[in-house]
Amino acid sequence: MKCRKCKAQAAVALPSHNTAFCPDCYLLFFRSQVERTLHKQRMAKAGSPILVALSGGKDSLALALQLHELGYAVHGLHVDLAIPDYSALAKQFCEKFCSTINVPLTIIELREEGLAIPLIKSRIKRPICSVCGKLKRYFFNKFAVENNFPVLATGHNLDDEVSRLFANTIRWDASYLSDQGPVLPAEAGFARKIKPLYRLSEFEIANFCFLKNLEHVTAACPYSPKASFPVYKSLWNKLEERMPGAKIQFYENFLRDGRPVFAAWAEQQTDLEPCPGCGYPTSSGLCGVCRIRKMVGAGVNGPGVSDLDSKQAG
Amino acid sequence: MITVLLEPERRQLHYPKLNTVLQLLHELKLGQTDVLVIRDKELLTQDRSLAPGDTITVRRVTSRG
Ligand code: SF4
Ligand SMILES: [Zn+2]
Ligand SMILES: [Zn+2]
Repeated sequence: MKCRKCKAQAAVALPSHNTAFCPDCYLLFFRSQVERTLHKQRMAKAGSPILVALSGGKDSLALALQLHELGYAVHGLHVDLAIPDYSALAKQFCEKFCSTINVPLTIIELREEGLAIPLIKSRIKRPICSVCGKLKRYFFNKFAVENNFPVLATGHNLDDEVSRLFANTIRWDASYLSDQGPVLPAEAGFARKIKPLYRLSEFEIANFCFLKNLEHVTAACPYSPKASFPVYKSLWNKLEERMPGAKIQFYENFLRDGRPVFAAWAEQQTDLEPCPGCGYPTSSGLCGVCRIRKMVGAGVNGPGVSDLDSKQAG
Repeated sequence: MITVLLEPERRQLHYPKLNTVLQLLHELKLGQTDVLVIRDKELLTQDRSLAPGDTITVRRVTSRG
């Protein structure tokens, strides 16, 4: 196979785009994909500050690197989950990465909040990943809002987005379907959120990381589930193999035709109000994180416990 | 003999004869975009030929956790 642009030996073949690139042309392709998404979805103004949520994995580091190279003022934010055999490594990769490209990094230690994930796992029956995800979103958002970042970027890729959309569709979860997308506008208490890699697959990002020599954590979290997402991902990969372009079509058509319908429905539902414990927007009573704090005995000063989760996806 | 190193499992496999990357992917029951196929720090597309003595890294792209 030859590179589509310069006819050199190709290194990366992309069936969904029906094309192939040599290493240099592939990196230009990747860059222009991200640039186009930022521009088309009006995600962030050229050169503006962007808070990037860093896990230490390939997606978030690739995102930060590409945004940095595009001239955005990247500020990294990492939440240390205090998970044995995993969190220390993940943090090291974030630190090394940020110091190499010379961008600021803030680290939030869940242990210092009394919310170390192993502690929560030992005290709360709910699936740990949903609690962990909730905590990460909460602290990313809190930091972005309190420090006036115009936008918070996460490394969600096409495969993440498609499998999440598929999971929400299988359940017909109207609430999630109403606000899943690559851009979530700022609302009272919520930072503006963007996913500049949402059109790029895991395969495309892995190729970028390899060609950029980007070191990232490869160890899996010991609590990583054998849950539904990997099942959906492999189903979708099989589908994509037989119908190249199926993923992006499913997702973009949802954004165009499906989401507006659910968003109109959501307009009629209950409004969000500040949590009495911490001020985070929530549908009623204490927010999810304050309820977790209460359950693990980390202390909040709010009243009763409600059943409704704050519905931010991410 | 062709040596194949599977990542992240770090498992080693040996094949007496394989002609192309595509054949290797078929042997491993993997799709073209499930993995990176690497030889001497170079990425290989599925049409590339393999030769006896090659050491090939097959790195899964799915992230977990
Ligand atoms: S696998 Fe679950 S517990 Fe581990 S980091 Fe991811 S969300 Fe958190
Ligand atoms: Zn080229
Ligand atoms: Zn709260």
